[in-house]
Amino acid sequence: MTESYGISRRELLGRSGTVAAVAATVPLAVADTAPARATTGEVGVRMTVNGSVTPLTVDPRETLLDVLRERLHLTGTKKGCDRGQCGACTVHVDGERVVSCLTLAATLGGSRVTTIEGLARGDRLHPLQQAFIDHDGFQCGFCTSGQIMSAAAVLADGRARTDDEVREQMSGNLCRCGAYPGIVAAIQQARKEAS
Amino acid sequence: MSVSPIGRETARVDGPLKVTGRAPYAADYHPDGLVHGHLVLATVGRGTLRAMDVTRAEAAPGVIAVYTPFQPVRLINTFQGFGAENYVPLQDTTVRFRGQIIGLVVAGTFEQARDAAALITADYAGTPPRTSLADAGPGRSQDIVQVLAPGVASIDDVLRAGPVTITTTVTQPAQHHVAMEPHATTATWEDDQLTVYSGAQMPQRSAPAIAAGLGIDPAKVRLICRYTGGGFGGRSPAWNEAKLCAAAARALGRPLKVVLSREQVFTTVGHRPAVRQTVRLAAQADGRLLALAHDSDAEYPAAGGWPLIPAQHTSGVLYRTPNLRLDQRLVTLDTPSTWAMRAPGEAPGSFALETALDELAARTGVDPVELRLRNYATQHPVEGRPFSSKHLDQCYRLGATRFGWDRRPARPRSRTDGDWLIGMGMSTAAYPTDREAATVRVRFHDNGRVSVASGTSDLGTGAWTVLAVAGADTLGLPVEVIVPELGDSALPPGGVGAVGSAVTANTMPAVRAAGRAAIGTLLRAAVENPRSPFHGLDPADVSYRQGRLHSGRRSMGFDELLRAIGTPALDAIGATDPAQDSPYAFHSFGAHFCEVRVHRLTAEIRVNRFTSVFDVGTVINARTARSQFIGGIIWGIGHALLEADPIEPDGRYAAATMADYLVPVNADIPDIDVHWLGYPDPHISESGARGLGELGTVASAAAVGNAVYNATGIRVHDLPITLDKLL
Repeated sequence: MTESYGISRRELLGRSGTVAAVAATVPLAVADTAPARATTGEVGVRMTVNGSVTPLTVDPRETLLDVLRERLHLTGTKKGCDRGQCGACTVHVDGERVVSCLTLAATLGGSRVTTIEGLARGDRLHPLQQAFIDHDGFQCGFCTSGQIMSAAAVLADGRARTDDEVREQMSGNLCRCGAYPGIVAAIQQARKEAS
Repeated sequence: MSVSPIGRETARVDGPLKVTGRAPYAADYHPDGLVHGHLVLATVGRGTLRAMDVTRAEAAPGVIAVYTPFQPVRLINTFQGFGAENYVPLQDTTVRFRGQIIGLVVAGTFEQARDAAALITADYAGTPPRTSLADAGPGRSQDIVQVLAPGVASIDDVLRAGPVTITTTVTQPAQHHVAMEPHATTATWEDDQLTVYSGAQMPQRSAPAIAAGLGIDPAKVRLICRYTGGGFGGRSPAWNEAKLCAAAARALGRPLKVVLSREQVFTTVGHRPAVRQTVRLAAQADGRLLALAHDSDAEYPAAGGWPLIPAQHTSGVLYRTPNLRLDQRLVTLDTPSTWAMRAPGEAPGSFALETALDELAARTGVDPVELRLRNYATQHPVEGRPFSSKHLDQCYRLGATRFGWDRRPARPRSRTDGDWLIGMGMSTAAYPTDREAATVRVRFHDNGRVSVASGTSDLGTGAWTVLAVAGADTLGLPVEVIVPELGDSALPPGGVGAVGSAVTANTMPAVRAAGRAAIGTLLRAAVENPRSPFHGLDPADVSYRQGRLHSGRRSMGFDELLRAIGTPALDAIGATDPAQDSPYAFHSFGAHFCEVRVHRLTAEIRVNRFTSVFDVGTVINARTARSQFIGGIIWGIGHALLEADPIEPDGRYAAATMADYLVPVNADIPDIDVHWLGYPDPHISESGARGLGELGTVASAAAVGNAVYNATGIRVHDLPITLDKLL
């Protein structure tokens, strides 16, 4: 039985033969994969966000997603999982789609970042944005920014032409409402308009 | 504008905001002075907290406060009776399940709070949790429903006698809502007035629930949820994290935001319970039912939650049978709180029943569609009331034609396409429509706009657009001039909760009532106000038509009138409260048809296509209705083939991440052909609309499973149907 605090998981696992009623002292946030790190440094980084040069001083732990949302208040980019598993946070870095939750802001010096807020030309919707409305390619809207940013990169890439190819290329972006058929139709409409 | 928008394709009015990222969700608000909270969860499955070491967390950079059961922020347990979480966090040292909230760290930034939370350790006296439904015996019966034919003493006698008997037991592990937006709360206090931004299906219930948890006057809490990233049942109650966030914000005197990590969502805000069900049938050789018994044992957490009763609205509704028995039992386990999840009882219940029906079809050699027609119910099998409007037989026939059901191979595993085995399956969907009171406010503005306000919520359902369509229809105006308002507990009380597929059916009549009342207000002002050109006229001589007031040759728009009389706006409340003692039973229906292919060598399962035909009364907005149906069917595909969160003996969920808990992705979903009949329900309300939001989810999993059986000859009873079970 342990009464001490701060015992490591390794030490705990090393004690075998625990009985039904055990006392265990374990770190709590295992599932969060958060580093047990309490110091903060600061890193200067200068990126271009939606066309504006944006000098920032960031905590090296800060993801691009959290910088966009919490520092720049560009909240169109959503945090669905923070683990690169859902695609809701998809943005473009130097024209490529990335999951911003797995992209550390400190690594983006000199990079061009485009978010959903930077996709429309003024009040004129991007053809994909209009196509998502036309085909009801969303319901709750929470995955939508990531879907559209992902779709924009897929269209620019030019590899997805058939419905099945679009489905495959878009399968990193989850939609729990189940708007997938509308998403495919919207992307096909925008692709045909662009060609 | 004379063409009503009812039933047409109206684009979502919230669409432009959503596709540009400008629609604010709960975590998108940044009040001045905002600080960030991160929850700490228990890592044992059951026991008592003996101590927690928070010294390193408290010393970590940026940390403002650490709350634990040993240094709590006060919350009041308002639990009463049954059917909800029965505890509040941090008020005692009991650990009821793994993943329970045992702490909250508040810091200046998200990163500081998250990392400080990881520095906390806890000392538990643990006991092994009860987690296995399979190992548990039968649970406690809820209410047993039984209908027996004259002279029958026990349904078991009929079920034994046959001539044809079927016994089917199916199981499914815990499932999760997995709304794309993790639960988040931003709480700000101004003096003693609290504003909470938090996704909610019933904002006008969640706000007072938070007030009760804090021990304050409900009038002091306003909850705003204009945009909510999915609900599916998981946002119907106000969960502990929202109450805790509000309490900590009050204690600190600062705005606080708590966003659950995705992993925390899996244990703190509800899940669909694991359930084991047995359906027993006795039938004539021609498939006509003699008896139907449906038993269930569903996980029910010791910590409280929502009870799963899967038979009531499935086996208790769908078929005519002289003998019927439903026994829905709950098994106490030390698992996280359960909650209703889209078609809460109906999705699992229909999988059991419609799998059993398919087995009966196979046994008797009767075509599955014909079998269902032979057992067609025109009145509610338990209540005896006729259905208000039921055209399910047409759903079967039209669906079969659209799908090409006549090409189904009657013999399983008899059709191939290269290395793929091809199979077809079908099933029946039913979902009740509750009739509820509703209140709506309609307000004419002097800028030519009309606002239609309801204290309901739009989780992606399309309620924003339904309000606009309803207002436009009622007032004879274009949809574009209607400004819907919802997602705010401060709107007039009486918004319909976004649960039970009930919003549209129950809000439509209230919009009409409010619209008529507002027109009355407008007409009174027109004749009573001295500055009105209609002043002094008999009210009966002034009429409203399509946004304009008319009397003789005089005519003016409502906005012109309001400007003339110097009144910015005029409004009225409309309330409806349908009688609960209707002679009719209100249910929506549908028929699903699915084709799958299963690889001969790898047993990979793919859904080729899906056709569903629904009978839901009047459809208000074709576009959003179609999306609801399709989304529901996709849930059924996930239910059948993907979704599972097995629980380990120590109480840990094995698949509590978005990578491990599989939901359908785009490449899993084929073309889905959705159609509806369009018969207005003559008894439900003047709008004729019943509920439809959850209907697609009902029995779609069974259609997939029945198609897999038809393709392979293998009947999988333990969901999900994964390829290892076919090899």
